[in-house]
Amino acid sequence: MNILKQELRMGRKTLVVWCISLIGVLSLFMLLYPSIASQLEDFQKVFESFPIEFQQALGVADLELSSILSFYQFALMYVLLAGAIQAMNMGVSVISAEVREKTGDFLFVKPVSRNRVVSMKILAVLIQILITNAVVFTASLIMVTLLSSDSYDVELFALDTLSLLFIQIFFASLGLFVSVFLRRIRTVLPISMGVVFIFYIIHLLNETLKDEKLGLISPFDYFNLSEISKNMNYDSLNLLLWFVLVGVFIFLTFKLFARKDLPSI
Amino acid sequence: MNVIEINQLTKYYGKHRGIENVSFSVEEGEIFGFIGPNGAGKSTTIRALLSLIHPTSGSATIFGKDCIKYGSEIRRDIGYLPSEVFYYEHMKVREVLNYSASFYDNVDTSRIQSLAEVMDLDLNKRIDDLSYGNKKKVGIIQGLLHEPKLIILDEPTGGLDPLMQQKFFELIRTENQNGATVLFSSHILSEVQKLCGRVAIIKDGTIVRVENIRDMQKHNYKKFTLDYRGVIDVHHFNLEGVTNLTVDESTLHFLFKGDINRMVERLQGQNLMNMLVEEPSLEEIFMHYYQKEDQP
Repeated sequence: MNILKQELRMGRKTLVVWCISLIGVLSLFMLLYPSIASQLEDFQKVFESFPIEFQQALGVADLELSSILSFYQFALMYVLLAGAIQAMNMGVSVISAEVREKTGDFLFVKPVSRNRVVSMKILAVLIQILITNAVVFTASLIMVTLLSSDSYDVELFALDTLSLLFIQIFFASLGLFVSVFLRRIRTVLPISMGVVFIFYIIHLLNETLKDEKLGLISPFDYFNLSEISKNMNYDSLNLLLWFVLVGVFIFLTFKLFARKDLPSI
Repeated sequence: MNVIEINQLTKYYGKHRGIENVSFSVEEGEIFGFIGPNGAGKSTTIRALLSLIHPTSGSATIFGKDCIKYGSEIRRDIGYLPSEVFYYEHMKVREVLNYSASFYDNVDTSRIQSLAEVMDLDLNKRIDDLSYGNKKKVGIIQGLLHEPKLIILDEPTGGLDPLMQQKFFELIRTENQNGATVLFSSHILSEVQKLCGRVAIIKDGTIVRVENIRDMQKHNYKKFTLDYRGVIDVHHFNLEGVTNLTVDESTLHFLFKGDINRMVERLQGQNLMNMLVEEPSLEEIFMHYYQKEDQP
């Protein structure tokens, strides 16, 4: 438990900053809503006048700007993107920090097994992800409720917002795997930004191509917001794939780290 | 009983050699020196003992248990002080030490206070405000606070001023008298000479020799210094057992190992102004081992 406590303590400040940033991104978009709400139908018409390929590339092909939730989905996409970076950052750095900050010679000579250290660190990441999601969920619930003039579909709102949790868990476990796979990590942010943006670009590409196989690559496609609002559910194949991949990443993290040599300073 | 037993331990980093077939053992209750130049493989050996790295082949046991397999169990009774110390920068000294203590059962936390007093360390400072020497003190305290049965020191004295070194040696001696076994790695011979009973000498990843420090100094080698009145006949001393022969103007230096009577015979008839026969320092013996190794 001492390791968990230590991890949460050390991640506290970063967590607060990220939560504030995510709420900031969300409110930036959502606060636009009242001022353009009356003109949304005009926007819709403008978008519809574009060629369909162009609409798809912009991600507005299925956009129904008339309701608050469709506008919320538009804003949420950017929260998902930022949240993915946050989660991947945590995943990559939580174990590699001990090597980067050269504190490994302190922690790993203590009477704890490596597996226990890894479990505690993963648990710490999971708790921080849950806190982030609770904060974002509450903040967006308040915002959507305040801004919407009439009632909206709460179930769809929950499905949309919960996709952040799944995407964050995916990227955190991917980050963990990357951090034990690479021999030495000097800086975290370029790695996580790079990986997240590659997956995001694949997702944008697939908005145009609508290729089923390509859709299996990017976790942003697993939780495609417009698909969710059509089906009112997550896609079960994608959910299964998500589950398997997260499992494999976590398993490999334990497996690889148990055998890893910790470089001397 | 042997506290540490190392058996043909080998570690390669890819193709790069770390250590090769290192074998030695450390008995319970002794202070064992581990000496060699930088890059010889001292840290590699120690890191393998602590299962920070995994050996390529060979094995090591501590308290009779395999180091890798029973790593976490063994480490309950080990105190380790690395050559360079790094701690969580944003924490206070007291917090780091309490965190360290939280890994062990039944730690007497008043020891933190008393050790800090001995080492003259302020517990309320933040780690990133500490000087290198003070960080080292944190390292010493976190290595000793759980009263380990085995203390492993990897080049521990760097950054400590002479007064602190003295206190540190006293601490180690006290722990040793209370029953702790000590593995002391260093490249400074006078330190090892002061503290250790036996010593293993490592060079280029292999153990050159394991020896009793007293045997090493007293029974094997004599250091001769001859001041000549006239011309020096260097070839006169070209006999078995003479090494490190150097001429410095009218003075001849060499180390001799063997029957002292043969040397006395050889010295007869030499036109000397002065002669000095001493115990060689460990350093000179050490240099001698290395030169012998280097010869083709």
